[in-house]
Amino acid sequence: MSSLEETLQRAENLLQPYGQSFNRPELNRLDVYLQRENLLAAVQALLEARWGYLSTITGIDRPSAAVEEGQTPTEGEIEVLYSFCSGAAVVSLRVRAPYSDAALPSICPLIPSATLGERELMEMFGVKVEGTPDTSRLILADSWPEGVYPLRKSFVPAARFSGEAKGG
Amino acid sequence: MNLAIHPLIVLLFFPGGLFLLASGLVFQWADRKLVARFQNRVGPRFFQPLADVLKLLAKEEIIPQGAHRGLFIALPIIALAAALTAALYVPMFGVQPFFSFQGDLIVTIYLLSALTISLGLAGANSVDRFSLVGATRTLTQLFSYEAPFLLAMIGPALAAQTWQISKINAFVGETTWFIVAQPIGFLVALVGLMGKLELPPFDAPEAETEIVAGALTEYSGRGFALFRLSKDIELVIGLTLVAAFYLGGIANPLEFLLKTGGLLLVMALLQTAFARLRIDQTVGMWWRVGALLGLVQILAILAGIYIRQWWL
Amino acid sequence: MSFEPLGENRFIVPIGPQHPALKEPGHFEFVVDGEIVTGASVRLGYVHRGIEKGAEDRTWIQNLYLMERICGICSHIHATAFVQGVEKLAGVEAPPRARAIREVFAELERIHSHMLWLGVAAHEGGFDALFMYSWRDREVVMDMLEMLSGNRVHYSANLIGGVKYDLNPEMMDKIRDGLNYLEERLAHYLDVVNHDETFIGRTRGIGTMTREQAQLLGAVGPTARASNFAFDVRVDAPYAAYAEFPVEMVVAQEGDLHARFVVRILETMESIRVLRRIFDNLPESELVTRVPRRIPAGETISRVEAPRGELFYFIASSGGEKPERVKVRTPSLCNWGTVITLAVGHKLADMPMILAGIDPCFSCNDRLVMVKRNHQDPQVWTWADLRNYGIEYYR
Repeated sequence: MSSLEETLQRAENLLQPYGQSFNRPELNRLDVYLQRENLLAAVQALLEARWGYLSTITGIDRPSAAVEEGQTPTEGEIEVLYSFCSGAAVVSLRVRAPYSDAALPSICPLIPSATLGERELMEMFGVKVEGTPDTSRLILADSWPEGVYPLRKSFVPAARFSGEAKGG
Repeated sequence: MNLAIHPLIVLLFFPGGLFLLASGLVFQWADRKLVARFQNRVGPRFFQPLADVLKLLAKEEIIPQGAHRGLFIALPIIALAAALTAALYVPMFGVQPFFSFQGDLIVTIYLLSALTISLGLAGANSVDRFSLVGATRTLTQLFSYEAPFLLAMIGPALAAQTWQISKINAFVGETTWFIVAQPIGFLVALVGLMGKLELPPFDAPEAETEIVAGALTEYSGRGFALFRLSKDIELVIGLTLVAAFYLGGIANPLEFLLKTGGLLLVMALLQTAFARLRIDQTVGMWWRVGALLGLVQILAILAGIYIRQWWL
Repeated sequence: MSFEPLGENRFIVPIGPQHPALKEPGHFEFVVDGEIVTGASVRLGYVHRGIEKGAEDRTWIQNLYLMERICGICSHIHATAFVQGVEKLAGVEAPPRARAIREVFAELERIHSHMLWLGVAAHEGGFDALFMYSWRDREVVMDMLEMLSGNRVHYSANLIGGVKYDLNPEMMDKIRDGLNYLEERLAHYLDVVNHDETFIGRTRGIGTMTREQAQLLGAVGPTARASNFAFDVRVDAPYAAYAEFPVEMVVAQEGDLHARFVVRILETMESIRVLRRIFDNLPESELVTRVPRRIPAGETISRVEAPRGELFYFIASSGGEKPERVKVRTPSLCNWGTVITLAVGHKLADMPMILAGIDPCFSCNDRLVMVKRNHQDPQVWTWADLRNYGIEYYR
């Protein structure tokens, strides 16, 4: 499909100034690795060119690998994908934020509907989204403890390992 | 038909009191069943309304904090009393009304409005958002249908030259049915009655998808049962009034059954056929169409009377 | 001159978490001035079940069934999105017949979902007759699904690499009969929606959303298409057998509630047409291909068109028996933004219909484990603790 190719190529051209590296993991996908500072500018570029729409914001926890003897431990990171779709083409802007400085700029000023995704990111991954208009809880219960982020790999809901559930 | 019965029996058993309550439940059942059949549902069994009332009477009555206790308890009683009293002036079951005087039509309509007002007050008293919105809507609706409904009731009275329900009833029995002579009045009266009873599509005051149960949200147990009973009795009285005035009067129990039953069938059809009107749409409809039609009807009747007087 | 409402003088009408207008728990607060809504907010999470977290702890096969249980109404489409993503990662493709059968289930599901919605939305508007009739007719589809799979709701038609159930000519004939009946009924409902005066009074010009708004607010599915924002994953990026048996996109210009009714009804009729085409030319092949138990490492994005709009799955595998991360973005989540924005300026009486207009699915949004605050270590709360907590709480 050439139109698909064209669409992706157009996005690549648009994002050329901001991306660190580009990758085509699948025929219809373009992954763009970005620095946090460039995120807003990249989103702006896609918006101004009316390239697609923001489909979702996905967070992935990338904990540090097991440290071997003599190596300095690398810090775990939260990787965030901003997926834009246009027809069959999907462009993912990929940004990484280390645990110690888990913060990202809010894209709500550009795309108001991103608020739900950003709130989810804050609750589930503990990423501070700077400048997002609403910081109240969206999904987690009000009694959920502060500083516990369920979608981080370090969070293990213990209930499922206890065999005590049997017999209610 | 004219029966001579001791007034106490009239008040407590027939045709007031128990018998009226029972017929209210029967009419409620008939209404629900008809609507259900029109909507392709099975509908309730015949004893369901009675079971509902018995269950509610047995339940705990919860009085919300902040509500005026006395009012909260008294209002359902006032509502039921108003409905029961109103029935005494109406030719219920084809029996001559037991209390009758010049002007009882106005008293009856007043008593029926008192019922609605106590419903509105009950909502405003129970300090709940849904009740409050419901009460506002109930009273707004009262102000919108009341005038056209009254005009539609006055039509036959003017033609019969009396304010006494029993005399209008008798007069109507001797002339052409007023549904033919005053079709607009009949329409306004029937639709007005639906507004009065808050039946769909005029059920905005108790629209459950917006404000739960409207004015009655906080009512449970006895209070709720009494309000529902008074609503049922209002349904019977309303049907009797409209049937007596527009369907050639009610002279015996058979006529009563046939005429009110027929009206109920039409009302059930109307209930199924429409989507709920918003309160602003209801008010707009009544004042822009209902009141105007009612006035036109009255003017036509007055003109008819004058022409006849001048002619004869 | 501006009249900013003072904090204390605002009159807030809460809707939810339990409310007759909501068939599932969600919480809305509408700030009203008389009958006019001047502000709205939403709080979700009442049916959060932690499915995304749970997925990381289950094998690929177990996850298939977990994903299907995200939503009761659109169970098949969730499984399809997941299965297609996994198949892509594994580098296999389901056989043609299996893909066609996936489409059959998806379209039957769309019919049942849209008819369910039609009833609910009509009920919110106080039009109970339409509610009862559309739900009665919906039973026809439910019976078809039951005949095909043995289940009314969770059909579990998908397997990784294919489908479980085959279609035989008798089944197809039965379904055809049912579809003929449904088409007739839907034509009637379309007529009602277009011509019933009270209904039009409650829907036309209500909750109007322009194309620009729809795009900015991120609307998807029929909600977006009713605002002339034309995108449909089935057309734009065909999956399953949508390349062989394409559907036509239904769009409307008006963007109001009425347009949403029309778009959904027309879409249902389009589903019926495409189902007939599939039954006439159902390809012959196997139903399942072999898929390895371990899925190669990689990431993929799988998008499908659920009845409510674009469903987005991000699946990452680290090469093991369990996924590394499954992200589910359901269409309802996208459409919330539109409700909050559109509510302002409308009457309270319009709220249930505007809410229902996007066909919200709360379970889809909320996918956790309840942990007590101030507990010494929230991460080691066993089932027994939870149970005791529950007992203590109600003592």
